This record gives sequence, C-alpha cells and structure tokens, in this order.
Amino acid sequence: MERKIFLKNGLSALGLVAVAPLVSTSCKKNKTSADDGGTTTTGGNGSCTVSPTETEGPYPTKSPSAYVRSNIVEDRTGVPITMNITLQNAKNGCAALAGAIVDLWHCDKDGNYSEYSGFTTVHFLRGRQVTDANGLVTFTSIFPGWYTGRTTHLHIHIFNASGTSLKVTQISFPEGNSSAVTIVNTTASGYTKGMSGYTYNANDNIFSDDTGNVEMASVTGSVAAGYTLTHKIAVSA
Amino acid sequence: MMIKSIRFCYRKIINADAPTAWERLIFEDSYTEFKMQAQRFNQENKYSSFADILYNNAAAEQLHFLTCAAATGYIKQLNHKIPDVQNTLGKTFLPFSNFRFEIINSDVKDILKHRVPVNFYSDVVTWVETIGGTMVLSLNNTVEAGELLTESFVLPPFVSIYAIKQTD
Repeated sequence: MERKIFLKNGLSALGLVAVAPLVSTSCKKNKTSADDGGTTTTGGNGSCTVSPTETEGPYPTKSPSAYVRSNIVEDRTGVPITMNITLQNAKNGCAALAGAIVDLWHCDKDGNYSEYSGFTTVHFLRGRQVTDANGLVTFTSIFPGWYTGRTTHLHIHIFNASGTSLKVTQISFPEGNSSAVTIVNTTASGYTKGMSGYTYNANDNIFSDDTGNVEMASVTGSVAAGYTLTHKIAVSA
Repeated sequence: MMIKSIRFCYRKIINADAPTAWERLIFEDSYTEFKMQAQRFNQENKYSSFADILYNNAAAEQLHFLTCAAATGYIKQLNHKIPDVQNTLGKTFLPFSNFRFEIINSDVKDILKHRVPVNFYSDVVTWVETIGGTMVLSLNNTVEAGELLTESFVLPPFVSIYAIKQTD
C-alpha cells in the first residue's frame, strides 16, 4: 500500500468527493420542511416524538424453507433421475393421500450427504413437496451413489399438512447386472466406486427384512436418457 | 504500516423477544422446522426439549443443520450485509458470505424456549490502524484520487475478530 495516500471517510464511496461538506451535511440527518423527524410534541394525550425518516429498508418477505422445491440437484453432478412417489392412505381404502408433506433426501454420487462442514450451508439433494390430488410428489435429482455399509437408498419423511410425522422410511433400488444401480455405478461418468464392496439389499441392515420388496422402487431408463423412479408408499393418515 | 486482513464474527441471538419482522420470521419458521425435523430423532415423542432429544439420540446434532434451511431464505434477503453491526456513522457496512445457524435451546412443546443464534462471518476486510478505540478498516482497498476509502468501527458486544492474517 502506498504510504502517501490519505485515509478518508467511507462516505466517499457514495460519490461525495469534497471533504468539507461531509461535516455539515452527511454526518447528520438532513432537515427539510417535510422531514420533521425528532420533533417532540406535547398535547392532551401526552408527549410523542415523530419518528425519524429513514431510507425504506428491504421489508422481509415470507420465505419458505430451503427444502421446498422439486429440483434438489443444486451443484451436484450425476445421472439425472426423476422420482415419482405416490402416497396412499391405508385408513381410507388405499386412496390417494393429498396434501401430505414429503421430505426426501439422499447422498450424492460419491456417497456424501449435505451437512454442516465448516461454513457450508447448502442443502443439496434434500427436498420437500406436498402431494397433489393423486397423492403424487415429483423430485428431479441425480442418481444416488453409495457408501460403505449401505445399499443405494432414498430417505423419506412423511408429514400431515400440519407437520406431524406420519412415517419415516426409506426406498431401496432393484439389483442385478442389468439394474440401473449396476449400470450407473459401473459405466456412468463420475460414479467412480463401481460395485466392489457394495452392500446388497439382502445384507443391508434396513432392507434385509424387506423380503416382499415393499420398500423397493421401480426404476426405468438409461444413463444417456436419465432414469425415472416410481414408488408407492402407504401410510395411516 | 502493518496491514492485516481480518474477518469479524457477529453472533446474533434470536429468541421469543425478537423485535423486528425479520427476526420474528426466522424465529417462527425455524421453530416450525425444528418441530418437524425433531420428530425423526424422537420418534416415540418421549422428549420435548432439544437437550433431552440430543442427550438420548446423538444423531439429533444434525438438527442444527436441518433447521437452518428455514432461515436460509431470510438470510439471503440481507443481501450479504451483516445486520445490526454499524460503523461509527450508524450504518451497516460489513459484507458477509458465510453464516452458521445453531440451536441453543428449544422445546417441541414450548416455542418460548426457542433460542437460535445466527453467526455471521464477515468477508475479509483490511485493518489499516486503530485510532483510540476506533478501528480504521478498508473494505475493498479502493483508492479514489489517491485516497484509500475507509470505514471507522468500534467493536460492539457479540462481535469478535474471527480471523486475522498479516498481508504486508
């Protein structure tokens, strides 16, 4: 830094060049006939002071949770997948459950979840949608990777419209040489783990008892065209 | 002249006394989100305080991060300027890009127990010198007509120097 430069008040950044006028105009509130801020009046109802006139700040506007979105990819890369999940009400003849809140989250292609890490405040691959009249929610995401000890899976938390938990569950993926899980992990760009060391559903501590494949989704598509996942979940609502 | 790059941290605690609309929105929405997310770590609904939920399920530590999503939209509305912290002219001036939301305390049955700080970490600014108790800072090292533009600043409560780096 040059030693010769003068240190100057930050207001200069506003385009006020001359130093002297700053003292008289900028360091105190401008008083005009229309600006009676600070004036104290005493009357029959006591004393009151007119509020000072300030630049209107940005008013806060109601902002939904960052989870509320259909596309949950953010900065993650991977094979596109569309997830269509339909809720049924077991207490109502398996009719579509409309108006329920569905939270979905899963790991990225490398097996990592979004979480606090240093200052990181991104919530990638986490989303929230409300079921439509057909009980359907749709999320646009990337095909999840896997991590040691778990098979490929999605996490789901279902709430009623007022936010009371109805079900915490997970969704598993079909397996086999021609399955999307195998094809994506062995051929798709960026999915570097392959299937070596993979935990299959039968050995997974969550899905090993799901012999009826109640928690298993249907997955169609290709690496080039992307995949579509379809799954139904029944809850008692 | 010894020049140092420094970053400030402002810890803004939001509780039931939240005086502004912005704080109120964060308070209420983060409480709603906390109640929703806490159910995952307290599925039998046995505990009501955050401390008890955490004590009985260490995974509930995630609630800091999970609840943060309710505040993100409001923090974006600040347009990267740390709230409340003013220069000696009474203007907010410190830019930030990073923040961290936490839960100090909460209770799924009592919103009045909800206390959530937002820690704002300022971007790097240049500490030029300190005159009396007033720090002279330069935000962008902008030089106009040979003059370095500066901000004057006195450390208020709940603001600390988070990081410091000698650059010259």
